[in-house]
Amino acid sequence: MSNRSGVRDLGGMAVAAALIVLGGFVFHDTTTYVDVDSKVFPRTVALVMIVCCTIVIVRDLLRPAAAGEAPAPASVPRRLGLVAAMLGSVLVMPWVGILVSGLGAFAALMALAMFDPWTRFRLVVYPLVAVAMVVAFYVLFGQVLQVPLPVGSLFE
Amino acid sequence: MLGIEYLVDALTPTHLLIALLGVVAGTVIGALPGLTATMAVAVLVPFTFSMPTASGLIMMGAIYTGAIYGGAYSAILLNTPGTPSAIATTFDGYPMAKRGDGDLAITIACIASVVGGLVGAAFLLGLSPPLAKVALAFGPVEYFWLAIFGLTLIASLSEANLVKGLAGGCLGLLLSCVGVAEVSADIRLTFGSQTLLGGIEVVGALIGLFCVPVLIDLVGTPERHLKVTGESRGFRLPEALAIAWRGKFNLLRSSLIGTFVGILPGAGGSIASLVSYSEARRASKRTERFGKGEPDGVQASESANNATVGGGFIPTLVLGIPGTPPDAVILGALLVQGVRTGPNLFTEHAAVVYTFIYGLFLATVLMLPMGLLIGRYAYRTIVTVPKAMLVPAVAFMTIIGTYAIRNSIADVVMMILLGVVGWVLNRFDFSPSPIVLGLILGSIAERGFVQAWVLGTATDNVAGMFFGRPISLLIIFFIALSLFYPLLARRWRLKQEAMRVE
Repeated sequence: MSNRSGVRDLGGMAVAAALIVLGGFVFHDTTTYVDVDSKVFPRTVALVMIVCCTIVIVRDLLRPAAAGEAPAPASVPRRLGLVAAMLGSVLVMPWVGILVSGLGAFAALMALAMFDPWTRFRLVVYPLVAVAMVVAFYVLFGQVLQVPLPVGSLFE
Repeated sequence: MLGIEYLVDALTPTHLLIALLGVVAGTVIGALPGLTATMAVAVLVPFTFSMPTASGLIMMGAIYTGAIYGGAYSAILLNTPGTPSAIATTFDGYPMAKRGDGDLAITIACIASVVGGLVGAAFLLGLSPPLAKVALAFGPVEYFWLAIFGLTLIASLSEANLVKGLAGGCLGLLLSCVGVAEVSADIRLTFGSQTLLGGIEVVGALIGLFCVPVLIDLVGTPERHLKVTGESRGFRLPEALAIAWRGKFNLLRSSLIGTFVGILPGAGGSIASLVSYSEARRASKRTERFGKGEPDGVQASESANNATVGGGFIPTLVLGIPGTPPDAVILGALLVQGVRTGPNLFTEHAAVVYTFIYGLFLATVLMLPMGLLIGRYAYRTIVTVPKAMLVPAVAFMTIIGTYAIRNSIADVVMMILLGVVGWVLNRFDFSPSPIVLGLILGSIAERGFVQAWVLGTATDNVAGMFFGRPISLLIIFFIALSLFYPLLARRWRLKQEAMRVE
């Protein structure tokens, strides 16, 4: 990966700072524990993490790393869309079940990952394959492996 | 002496068929992200109850060994370890696949898995009772240091970012603390959320941190996932065999490390493969190629994790202490079958045990043709499937696979969120591997740390408890070596180059 800021790894420093804050939160959280045995390990680990992250920041301030190669340009909306589609399908799962939410997510992700033109062949075959795959996994997990998959409160 | 007569029992057509079915089922399940070797054995164990004991054991051993190998497919082709023990396989397997050598990487992984599996099974056959004593020599503090050793190893693999690797490992250890504390039942780091009480599920986190970033990158650009070569190159078996022969010492060393680490209950394939990978890199003349698609890295990781299968059975069968989680499931199945494990097992139930061990050899050998066939199909599928089908299919697999672990929607949400966090962290050189390993080893590390702390406090000798035991000191020495060796080696290399210039 790269130090994309050119001279200073600002992103790396920001992540390190966020981890220092997290370490501070862990320290604060340990004050609510009743038993000392629960505190000793997270406190020690948080301390080590804070020390490591401080080193990351100080090292970069004193001796900035050479700039690495910048990442290739990529579509941010598609990336955000992927996360939104995955999260959305999971959040509606209790109501519509895994089969419907899975089909919805599959369709949305297929559209997001499609960079070629939608030909007539693709318009017919891709959705059919998508349905076949979702149903196959549904049967594998639900019937063969006996995983109690969510049916959805709307269909119960 | 070694129950050779039971070899004949293991070679009956029924046992051959059972071993074959077990290997295929295990390989397919292990290849799916979310379905681990433990789950593969646990799900299929009821089928063995109606079988004779030896046949049932052969089936379970075959499923287990196939699942450990199957984890390599998704590690190589999707940068997602199918099982935690395949984490180190991603380091070089995925770069090989990206440059168009995924088929070669899979064949190398198959050969290495077979070699590792055979070495582990050979130790199980010949040296079980004496080796089982090793497991008893490890106390809580040794397990704590062993977990820390695993973390320092993975951090030290990224030479330039050792400190970031250590910080990532600490983050993983803290994530393992989320939920109800194992030692004293305090509720920790849950932000008041009920859903976090159960903690962060390890396999779901592994899928999120490794697989979701790949999906995020895949969907952003129109380029193909893996480089495709025009002509079909078959299994590339001669090429892979030549590489295996060239790396024969690496294979043997990694298999021995895998067997030894497998003997230690709880340590498991993830530490074994990391230790082997690190040792292979240290000993190699091509150190700089590791992490960029070096076949020796795939060999080291895969031979070690399959050697843990045989190694893990040693304490399971001799002491009744399961070496790995799948061993615990198999131990339960043995008890259901009325077989009591212990030092007398090899004499009282010789027919069952030796037939099982020879069955394990059989399953491992069968893994070669079956693994190559399934691997070839998996490779061709991944490289030829259009991105518009690959992305949703893998995404759906991660969702349903994560859900299946604990039947929890919250686990799936956590998997996706960790994936996004992992993608961001990875962009700034905080690799996901130490985070995942910290999460995996967190409970072992904390249990050992707290027990040693309590004992040390009670005896007023905390320092002596942590730093005064011979095995601990040996592991601490290796920790120091793993942390400082890369720096010393680089300094020495620069000095040598400077001298050459002069």
